[in-house]
Amino acid sequence: MIRTADLRKTYTMGGQTIHALDGVSLDIPDGQFVAVIGASGSGKSTLMNMLGGLDSPDSGSVEINGQNIAGLGQKTLARFRNETLGFVFQSFQLMPRQTAVANVALPLSYRRPKPADANERAAAVLGAVGLGDRLTNKPTQLSGGQQQRVAIARALVGDPKLLLADEPTGALDSQTSDDIMELLVRLGREGLTIVLITHDLEVAEYAQRIITMRDGQILEDRMNEKAVAA
Amino acid sequence: MTLLRLAFSSLMERKLRSLLTMLGIIIGVASVFAMLAIGNGAKKSILENFDELSTRTVSLRPLWTGRRSSQSRPYRRFDEADLKELAALPDVELVSGTLGREETAVVPGADWATSITGADENHLYTEGMEMAGGRNLTPEDLEFGRTVAVVGSAAASRLFGQSYPVGQTISIRKVPFEVVGLVAEKEGEISWGGDENDFILIPRTTARNRLFGNDWLVRNQIDNIRVVARDQGAVANLQNNIDYLLRRRRGLSAADAPDFAARNFAAMQQSRAESGRIFTVLLASMGVISLVVGGVGVMNIMLVSVTERTREIGLRMSIGARRSDILRQFLVEAVVLCGLGGAIGLAVGYGASQFAEKASVQNGEALFKTVTDVPTALIAFGSAVLIGVVFGYLPARRASRLNPVEALRHE
Repeated sequence: MIRTADLRKTYTMGGQTIHALDGVSLDIPDGQFVAVIGASGSGKSTLMNMLGGLDSPDSGSVEINGQNIAGLGQKTLARFRNETLGFVFQSFQLMPRQTAVANVALPLSYRRPKPADANERAAAVLGAVGLGDRLTNKPTQLSGGQQQRVAIARALVGDPKLLLADEPTGALDSQTSDDIMELLVRLGREGLTIVLITHDLEVAEYAQRIITMRDGQILEDRMNEKAVAA
Repeated sequence: MTLLRLAFSSLMERKLRSLLTMLGIIIGVASVFAMLAIGNGAKKSILENFDELSTRTVSLRPLWTGRRSSQSRPYRRFDEADLKELAALPDVELVSGTLGREETAVVPGADWATSITGADENHLYTEGMEMAGGRNLTPEDLEFGRTVAVVGSAAASRLFGQSYPVGQTISIRKVPFEVVGLVAEKEGEISWGGDENDFILIPRTTARNRLFGNDWLVRNQIDNIRVVARDQGAVANLQNNIDYLLRRRRGLSAADAPDFAARNFAAMQQSRAESGRIFTVLLASMGVISLVVGGVGVMNIMLVSVTERTREIGLRMSIGARRSDILRQFLVEAVVLCGLGGAIGLAVGYGASQFAEKASVQNGEALFKTVTDVPTALIAFGSAVLIGVVFGYLPARRASRLNPVEALRHE
């Protein structure tokens, strides 16, 4: 369960005050696949950073599983990100000189206590996203879609409650995008809560719920009948 | 362990840059190590060259004073009364006085020009020599002016070849001396250009009366005196007492230039070594400067590295790395960089000091003796690691303070 209450955040840029978030209140039940869409500057990325504990609001609260993360210290936040969250980025953000397994196992190296079977777990998750035969390949030896699958595997390896995906298909062609989105839909069906940030309506159509943002406020919040029915 | 592996792999990704960065550290550690090795070697060879006895011995000799004749005092030799009073000073173990000349000693079938030394029973001890056969001079020899001689091993072999000298007779200036003792050969420690085993000792009184002409120039006179202190700690005080005593006996005030010299040879060598140490300190400080400059280079490269890897840092933070994890990662990387440089520097420094020792060999003896031991290596290596910690901290701290949102967006 994710609940935000009256989230506000302002930035000062070149003497101008920008309301990145202007009173956002939102409830997302467990297991829901939510897409947040909007033009650039609508505040959707800021919202994701708040949910991920990477940025803190000026006012308001972010509750995840009943815990308000807005006021946590950096150590507790780091632990929260490690144990509760998985991030997927537009540009994959893989370590270029490390193998797929090493990349996927990276979050486990920051877990305390450190699991002894980190590499086995990483290999298993890579198998689950369809890359069981690419374990020792480096990112440069993988296609864009495969790299994003590695990144998704890295987000999943720590058994997160919430997956935050920021334009996960932004760097991919349409065929590969569809594959990645179907993978996310499958993960959603398996019970993972997913928040997807995108400006692409076509991509957003995969989600059960579509939230449209503009100027730091929620413009529209609707259920996507097509995806819910599917 | 994981951190070390991570640091290694990240340094190996940029081999050339890492190597160039290490260069300053390598040079610094190498020169610090080489200088310590050479400095320690010099110290050790001084300690080896001077036995315990010489550190306790004060040598006295008369001195001309004044450069111009109007200021010059007459060359004044020591005498038997000086010797008696010196022997009565506190902390004196014994004293010995000598007067000597070069004379030709004659035996049937051979002759040899050697150093004829009028001495006493303590002389051999102050020279650190021992008897090989027969007996030493005795106080009675001096008292009665006996014509007896104790020969050094080199003089004995010149005069008598293989045959045993004790009991034979030597003529010096037509005065027959009975050989009563043979001195054991002393291994040369420092060579002064002559063979230190080439001498004949006779009683001081006999030397004056029978050989050197007992006139006003010679009567009661002594050329050189050696005073041996009971222990090394008393030497400085003893030197003051000797100075005071001799000035009083010679009517010199404390302000006058002395007309005698009192030297503790080991102390002189040590003070010469002290001035040599200035040279060592100079070179070592060059090493330290090189280390610091190398450290600044490391800091510079680490800052570049942090900037290049901003996105990596952002990602690590987003998947749960704490600030302290990032700090440690970059700090370990800097320390590994410096540690590697230190290890290479140790090898280079060891090679350089060995080369200095080998290259400086003259007449079979190395000018630079080196001592390469573990503590020296630890000091040099430790200073490299310290540089890594000190100069790696700022970049590592900067990395750990990055804002993850901005770091992830960094191009």
